Amino acid sequence: MLFFSYFKDLVGREVTVELKNDLAIRGTLHSVDQYLNIKLENTKVVDQDKYPHMLSVRNCFIRGSVVRYVQLPPDGVDVELLHDATRREARGG
Amino acid sequence: MVLGLRNFTERSGDGVGEPVLDTANEEDLMHVQPGVAIVLGARPPESPGTLYISNKQVVWLSDVDKERGYAVDFLAISLHAVSRDPEAYPSPCIYAQIETGADEDVDSADSDAECNESLDVSQITEMRLVPSDHSQLEALFDIFCECAELNPEPDEEQEEEHNWIFSADQLLDDTTMNEEGDSQWQLAENLGNPIGYANGNHDLAHSVLELRISDQRFDDADEMEHEVQDGHP
Repeated sequence: MLFFSYFKDLVGREVTVELKNDLAIRGTLHSVDQYLNIKLENTKVVDQDKYPHMLSVRNCFIRGSVVRYVQLPPDGVDVELLHDATRREARGG
Repeated sequence: MVLGLRNFTERSGDGVGEPVLDTANEEDLMHVQPGVAIVLGARPPESPGTLYISNKQVVWLSDVDKERGYAVDFLAISLHAVSRDPEAYPSPCIYAQIETGADEDVDSADSDAECNESLDVSQITEMRLVPSDHSQLEALFDIFCECAELNPEPDEEQEEEHNWIFSADQLLDDTTMNEEGDSQWQLAENLGNPIGYANGNHDLAHSVLELRISDQRFDDADEMEHEVQDGHP
């Protein structure tokens, strides 16, 4: 649940979602649910040479189970907050 | 779970009506969208057809060829999107990527699709649904989202992760359980031949049986002994 809450805080920010099939999609995080399904808006494919047909889809729903990485905006990472949250999670609280 | 796209021909009403759904397993029809063309991979569009969205799968049935239809589970749809970029596709459409279970073949499947009409549909990795009524796109997208969320990964995967995280404890538990399981099984097998045990002391018989089991275990293989020692340092 930690990552769910964490991603919810990033709604409205620009992220890059890298899929397990190597496709990377950049867009504004619209929403995320408990399964870490991700909705992006104003998306564009990072490697457009490889995936020209996906050029700028407007909104996009990505299944949580196919996500490999989510690249975050550097200033969207509150290290202190994450530290506290992971400690709390580790204590089972 | 079934990955990939598949042919779908089961229609109700003597094969002309709606797709036959697995209602026994709580499958319900969520939405019907007439006037939808389907584009599989790089193949030419197939139309006209009707799109049926259930809480488990997306089914497209041809309106003209009653033998033609395709279905894909929401579990296999990696991604779906509204595509309105004319450079990507001439008509606005729902674009979906399909997980096939054979990731290495993604590229070859795409190129095969261009030249081979009779290609195995289970290798299709991309699908476009082109409604003749463009104003329905957003609504379709929302229904896709809603249904995708109704289909999280099956439980067994979560349990696997669970096992994985607690692998050390789990391993010990498994070993204990297997040993108990084995001895019970062997006991049951031996009860099939109760002569000599029937009138005797049951506890004694049980002990003898256990002894035999132990003997077998240590006679069988030296490897087993090492494993046991390693497991309990």
